Amino acid sequence: MWLEILVCIKQVPHPDHFSEIRLDVGSGHIIREGIPAIINPLDRNALEEGLRVRERFSGRVTVISMGPPQAQKALEEALAMGADRGILLCDMAFAGADTLATANTLFYAIQKLGKFDLIYCGNETVDSGTAQVGPQLAELLDIPQVSGVQEVTFSDEKGLEVRRALEHGYMKVRLKLPALLCVTRDINRPRLPTVQSIMEVVQKKPIIWKAEDIGAPPESIGLKGSPTCAAGVYEHKAGRRREIMQGSTEEKVQRAVARLKELGAI
Amino acid sequence: MDLNLSREHEMLRDMVKEFADSELAPRALELDNKGEFFWEQVKRSGQLGLIGVINSKEYGGTAMGHLARMILIEEISRVYPPMGFFHQTGNLLMYAIETFGSDEQKKKYLPALCKGEKVSAFALTEATGGSDPANMQTEATLEGDDYVVNGRKSWITAVDPADVVGFVARTGDKFSAFIVEKGTPGFEVTRREETIGLRSLPVNEFALTNCRLPKENLIGEEGRGLVCALTTIATIGRTGAAGVALGIAHGCYEIALKFAKERVLYGKPIAVLQAIQFMLVDMNVEIEAAKWLCYSTAWQLDQGKTSRDLAVDIARCKLYAVDVANRCAYKALDIMGAYGLSPEYRVIGLLRDALELGVAAGSQEIMKITIGATITR
Amino acid sequence: MSNSGEIWVIGEQHQGRLEEVSLELLSKGTALSQRMGVTLSAVLLGDEVEEVARELVFHGAEKIYLLEDARLRYYQSEAYARLLAGVIKEHEPQIVLIGATEIGKELAPRVAAKLRTGLTAHCIDLYVGEVDDAPHLIHVVPGWGGNLVMHIICPQRRPQVVTVKPGVLPKAVRDDTKKGKIIRVKPDVRDEDFRRIETVEVVEEPPKGKSLESADVVVCGGWGMNALSDFSKVQELADILGGAVAGTRPAMDKGWVDEARMIGQSGKTVSPGLFVSLGASGAMHYITGFMGSKVILAVDQNPQAPIFQMADIGVVGDLREVIPCLIEELKKDRMPKKF
Repeated sequence: MWLEILVCIKQVPHPDHFSEIRLDVGSGHIIREGIPAIINPLDRNALEEGLRVRERFSGRVTVISMGPPQAQKALEEALAMGADRGILLCDMAFAGADTLATANTLFYAIQKLGKFDLIYCGNETVDSGTAQVGPQLAELLDIPQVSGVQEVTFSDEKGLEVRRALEHGYMKVRLKLPALLCVTRDINRPRLPTVQSIMEVVQKKPIIWKAEDIGAPPESIGLKGSPTCAAGVYEHKAGRRREIMQGSTEEKVQRAVARLKELGAI
Repeated sequence: MDLNLSREHEMLRDMVKEFADSELAPRALELDNKGEFFWEQVKRSGQLGLIGVINSKEYGGTAMGHLARMILIEEISRVYPPMGFFHQTGNLLMYAIETFGSDEQKKKYLPALCKGEKVSAFALTEATGGSDPANMQTEATLEGDDYVVNGRKSWITAVDPADVVGFVARTGDKFSAFIVEKGTPGFEVTRREETIGLRSLPVNEFALTNCRLPKENLIGEEGRGLVCALTTIATIGRTGAAGVALGIAHGCYEIALKFAKERVLYGKPIAVLQAIQFMLVDMNVEIEAAKWLCYSTAWQLDQGKTSRDLAVDIARCKLYAVDVANRCAYKALDIMGAYGLSPEYRVIGLLRDALELGVAAGSQEIMKITIGATITR
Repeated sequence: MSNSGEIWVIGEQHQGRLEEVSLELLSKGTALSQRMGVTLSAVLLGDEVEEVARELVFHGAEKIYLLEDARLRYYQSEAYARLLAGVIKEHEPQIVLIGATEIGKELAPRVAAKLRTGLTAHCIDLYVGEVDDAPHLIHVVPGWGGNLVMHIICPQRRPQVVTVKPGVLPKAVRDDTKKGKIIRVKPDVRDEDFRRIETVEVVEEPPKGKSLESADVVVCGGWGMNALSDFSKVQELADILGGAVAGTRPAMDKGWVDEARMIGQSGKTVSPGLFVSLGASGAMHYITGFMGSKVILAVDQNPQAPIFQMADIGVVGDLREVIPCLIEELKKDRMPKKF
């Protein structure tokens, strides 16, 4: 069984350095200079899953990303992990995209690439964490999709049974290929590249496509194709609050619980 | 002139860093406490292609070169120096065979060594010390098709776990290098030294008693053993020790910096105090200097220069990086106070490891003699 | 904000149990509907869930669109998305609020993409505010690990769909004298809704033994738990919060937790949404293990303990009193109610 597999990845700033991300007060732009970038951690689980499926059956793993030119590094890393080809969607016309415009961009690229049996995404990114692009892309492609995937079992050639996370338990979902799966970290442990695979990457440089290469209509991508937009970005107060609750034991506890709720911690 | 690392070297660093942080760091303290050889980690390193970086692909290596080796030893030693040091000593015989050995030897030994399925040691030093190799007593005499070897080698790293050991013996008035396999009659590991650092790597003494080795076990030509050993020790041993030192210095700096940012005294993190900053700055600058000294030398080896061409450069690397490692360890201790003495914070362990580097692959004084003799020539 | 369309809350229920977030959406929905002078309605899909629909009414929904069918007993990806998009198209609400639960995070983007409309993820607040002199619904979203807060708007397309992070907004107050209209919508459930994808089983299990690294809440006990002579209260608290249990080094030395659950320099480093430290003074090697947590709650008897310098919320007191009290208080708040 030959499977065409697509893995969608995103380059994100390293979460260890999020505290260094600053706002340019004048422009409202996020300053992330000098902050190391990595493949979004769950996207590596997605890639690992794609590679394992290719190894178990047979097929080809294509990795795709939308991003600035430096996102090429993320694709090189994916190639070093074992992907067969990498595609970077890189064009100023894609900039400012919300999740729908991003899904649109991927949709047009996929139209150009051809049919896929399986598309893997990380369930969410560490930066914005919307978890939306996967399901939106599936909708545009009109294929079944599951989020929160913890485990995948192939029942036959074209059928899968998937375990997906719920808050208090899990759900078993049966689906037929082609399908899109958004995976969690429970699903596998991503492999490291090896020295051999790193040295081979030089021969398989990622392909770079612009908006016109994928025939994406300008009104469906980038800022123009985004129904939502940012009206402002604000810095969140850093540092600990050091609030000591006062009153009787009951009052202290009630106040603490109320504050935790206000802070969104419970 | 381009001083940027190539993309492959960058990716190698990322990979090794992740390997070190996710697979070595969580177990470093435990491994160090046990003092047992880390077979599992060696096999993993072999799978990742790290052990064979200086060996050719034909024999199972990955041929990425000396700069790659410097970077990987540095990144590993940042969290677990014994493993970095294994990449130093373990590569010695692999290099000697690749450079001086026969095709048969390469085919026979290198693939398993590159994979980390087998490990090797390399022995020059005797009880008389390693700085005066010409005075060695171990002797090999040709009897028919076999050499019969008698003698004793001391202070040799990781002979205990080794499957195959390279050594140098006197053959007549010259010296020759040989390979002896574990289990050969007459070969016996006789002692494990007590060491203060790098504790998961045993330091052994072994004896050769009427040990018969076939001619095929001679590395290169008879009489060229000292050239083989000294070239290997300079190219692989000294650069490797420098890489370990670089990693230790880096590790100490990272730990101390994190500590200084987190440790609150007088209502503020101590990192805002200039007395603390000055120590961090010294570490930062010295590490950067040591790094480029080491990288440029490794890069030159990759460009085809030999350890003869680079004798002074290599000596500088080892001398300076090891000094920096020790200074950084002490500065980290100063910054961290009592916490620094707690093994949990790892600095005390890194210091013990750094102390061992002073005498490894040629003492600091030998490095100075090498440089001194050249610059005053 | 000229549109007169309704505000909709999508109710989420599992086996007849309403998710708490639905009540949180109703409180925000009520506030917004009053501010904007429009109707607050809710949509509920399921099988025999009229009782749940009534709960939505008691919590503020003026109208309920109820879609019942035996095959909608479980959440079904394609059927739910298609039916929901269908009623939205028909009734044209201007705002649709969905809980950012495991299911909501999948359903919302599927529905919004079907409608080719705007969707904002896991808001922590929503309000009507002015942007460039025009009123907009402002979606307040945390980003970059919580270091930045973004304000998102959806200027043109309707409805604007928003998911809301569970547990952030207050819950609507229940008032069983409230009246509302339950509108039964006959769902057009089709075989092809299940041909490509079908939920075959839902297993509800208490979140037990959650891994430390993936837990959104970590409850960590220290030496001070000695006062309670055992560690079971730490586990109890963690269970209520749906979190993982951890311990300090002294707690590990006591044998209360194994090494894999020790927090600190030589143990695990965690950065959950909430870190609860119980009876630990805050030694340096301990606090490095959880400094990245978003919110830290500390309980200890010593008001001078350094842990309170590191905490967002501090409760000073005898652990034997504070911890049971905290458990009771959270139980009141957190336990899913059976209707």
